Amino acid sequence: MKRSSLFVLQLLFTLLVCAFMLVPVLMSLLAGLTRNFFVGVSSGLTFDWIVQVWQAYSPTVWLSLQLAVACAVCVCVIGVPAAYALVRMNNRFSRAFEELMVLPVAMPGLASALALLLTYGQFGTFRSSWLFILVGHVLFTLPFLVRPVMAVMQRQHLPVLEEAAASLGAGPIKRFFSVVVPNCRAGILAGVLMVVTLSLGEFNLTWMLHTPMTKTLPVGLADSYASARLEIASAYTLIFLLMIVPLLIALQAISARLSRGERR
Amino acid sequence: MRALSKTLAALALCGMASLAQAADSAICYNCPPDWADWGTQLKAIAASTGVQVPLDNKNSGQSLAQLVAEKAAPVADVVYYGVTFGLQAQKAGVVEGYKPKAWDQIPAGLKDPAGHWFAIHSGTLGIMVNVDALGGLPVPQSWADLLKPQYKGMVGYLDPSSAFVGYVSAVAINRAMGGDLDNFAPAIDYFQKLAKNAPIVPKQTAYARVLSGELPILVDYDFNAYRARYKDNANVAFVIPQEGSISVPYVMSLVANAPHRANGEKVLDFVLSDEGQALWAKAYLRPVRPMKMPAEVAAQFLPDSDYARAGVVDYEKMAAVQEAFAARYLNEVK
Amino acid sequence: MATSAKHASWALAPAFAVLLAFWLLPLAHLIVLGTESRDSHGSGYWQVLSSAQYLGSLGQTLVLAVVVTLVALLIGGISGVFLARQHFFGRSALVALLTFPLAFPGVVVGFLVILLAGRQGLLASLGLQLAGERWIFAYSLAGLFVGYLYFSIPRVILTVMAACESLDRSLEEAAHSLGAGHWRVVCDVIVPGLAPALASCGAICFATSMGAFGTAFTLGTRLNVTPVAIYNVFTNYANFAVAAALSVVLGAVTWSVLLLTRRLVKNSGTVL
Repeated sequence: MKRSSLFVLQLLFTLLVCAFMLVPVLMSLLAGLTRNFFVGVSSGLTFDWIVQVWQAYSPTVWLSLQLAVACAVCVCVIGVPAAYALVRMNNRFSRAFEELMVLPVAMPGLASALALLLTYGQFGTFRSSWLFILVGHVLFTLPFLVRPVMAVMQRQHLPVLEEAAASLGAGPIKRFFSVVVPNCRAGILAGVLMVVTLSLGEFNLTWMLHTPMTKTLPVGLADSYASARLEIASAYTLIFLLMIVPLLIALQAISARLSRGERR
Repeated sequence: MRALSKTLAALALCGMASLAQAADSAICYNCPPDWADWGTQLKAIAASTGVQVPLDNKNSGQSLAQLVAEKAAPVADVVYYGVTFGLQAQKAGVVEGYKPKAWDQIPAGLKDPAGHWFAIHSGTLGIMVNVDALGGLPVPQSWADLLKPQYKGMVGYLDPSSAFVGYVSAVAINRAMGGDLDNFAPAIDYFQKLAKNAPIVPKQTAYARVLSGELPILVDYDFNAYRARYKDNANVAFVIPQEGSISVPYVMSLVANAPHRANGEKVLDFVLSDEGQALWAKAYLRPVRPMKMPAEVAAQFLPDSDYARAGVVDYEKMAAVQEAFAARYLNEVK
Repeated sequence: MATSAKHASWALAPAFAVLLAFWLLPLAHLIVLGTESRDSHGSGYWQVLSSAQYLGSLGQTLVLAVVVTLVALLIGGISGVFLARQHFFGRSALVALLTFPLAFPGVVVGFLVILLAGRQGLLASLGLQLAGERWIFAYSLAGLFVGYLYFSIPRVILTVMAACESLDRSLEEAAHSLGAGHWRVVCDVIVPGLAPALASCGAICFATSMGAFGTAFTLGTRLNVTPVAIYNVFTNYANFAVAAALSVVLGAVTWSVLLLTRRLVKNSGTVL
């Protein structure tokens, strides 16, 4: 009896927390489709706001996607070898490097962006291009790829596989691409999804680094929250959620598969 | 795997291409679509000159600070801000002289002789009210009305230390309460009293929030209020307070060492051209070039007797005392 | 494997180069910039450390981050343990719904807080109906607190759920069989068992709250937490020295708390 009343209490508590998380999101979705939020749903539902938002802000969506993909590629190129090195070295230097790698995430994004701006801001073409924002995103998302890949590499008994390949005459680079990388596919995939999700939602760094020509989705959102109608801001948020939620679902599915693989 | 790398390569190429595409654009700091109908103006600029200008929501103060921060490698080509910021920008050396095509038609007091800044239009400050959102309360008619507890949480004004319209509010209120540009004590006193009424103090244009009812009462210009009422069909009223108010010009400048100088010049020429100035008139601003306002637009303004309560101030002096006032406001008004 | 390790260290070079060029160097530049002075007001650091306004803002940010972390740990801990242990219909959907907000940028969270507690928000209309006056707290510290909770709770729930999987249930059963009541078991077995995970998760929540800018920016008219102060100083006055000094001080405070937490966790050791 006591046990089930505790269960009910905890369930109610958790449902309350869920409501707290969910209700504003639902309100925002509804507001993006309502003709006039001030009046309420009785004023009718419409896609007008979404059309208006798309006409005004679609470049931000494309730029964000472009940045996310470019970020994922860059982070893979420098992160997977780094993860390999960290797992192999496993000494003082690798631990120091791990510390260094996590710092851009632990320290306030605004500080990192300010530092970048003050140091590289004088290179006009670089500063006004989307590459400037890309640098910030790569710094911020690197640990989120390296950590999962390291975890997977440690599980896969790589030394044994590599020794086998080495004894068959494969050089270090060939070993890396034909033995190490294929075995970490799941970890790389999970990391890439995380990086893409983070890059799409990154604001703190991007706000300082952007120019009116290089506006990303979150920057556009901030603009619309400050200055545009509630309905437009909500429609814009709706578009953002439509982009992010499938990624999150995929991420959760992959992580679940990874952890199941671990228990095998 | 092959297909993936091909797609990625294509995307990267697109990225490189977008770097080059900047040719037909100009960056304007402080061209918010919902302010003074810049949205329509930007579209007209693109249609007429082919120059794409992205919208930007920075306010005057943020624009100036950004220009100063980027002095070594400017990002913007043109900037739009209040007259006092234009004077400060000239002092800071971040703008350069340019005399657009209709230069001679701008009255003498509204431009820098060397072309570092020039007015493009002006407006009168007052109180913009979303009548529906008041919930039955009477529309405030004076600055003193805003202090009444019945409007608690409903009053907004832009940040006087950052936005030009905020500073203008402070100067107007100061003048209405008996102070002048040497003595801001009445304004500080007023803001301290207003702080007890839970005001909302945004940094950037809050036009849309007034329309949606989130911010029922906003200290803003007549052109924004008229546009809300007649273009966006919101039940918005504009009041020039009983104690008095002021009219001020907004100016534009060409940024020194602008990355797209030629495009910037085209933009500046357009906003002063016949077409550009007519667009400002239709948006309920008073164009700087002497031109007849369309009759139906003039009819929608408040009567001249109301506008008699709005005066002008010395812009040079206003610019000179701005920074001291901003510091005082930040320190004393919490 | 010695050759392999030496070869492997070369693979670190690209990542190290990127971090060096784009983070370490600019950070060093930032630290040096903080020592400069403008208009003979003293160096940036001096201005920050001697000004009641900036110190007050730092204190406010610190207290807010700590309180948010503790409350998030409490709420997320209860929900997380519950969801990890109990299996019922709709559980995985509930978990998914609870953890989506993790990816929301701060600005979106600020907007959601306005929808919840702004002038036209849900609580405003609720308050109107129940008490005759609107409950508006979106634009105050309370609103910021709610916003920070919004993106901290999912993080805690995820971490706690993962940590619960590795808890040794035999200890709890032993405690039960020795006659300990439910709450005793929670306090003396479960919480200590989860402590390392809670500590590291709390550290991340703390760091995120300290550096959060988007939420305060959206809600922001009267909020003066340090990230907003940095932004204001940089964009209103182009005062690089003070902006740099504030950033470095904020970063240093955050990092030292993280270090301290890690030292405490290491010292307490794993309980199980």
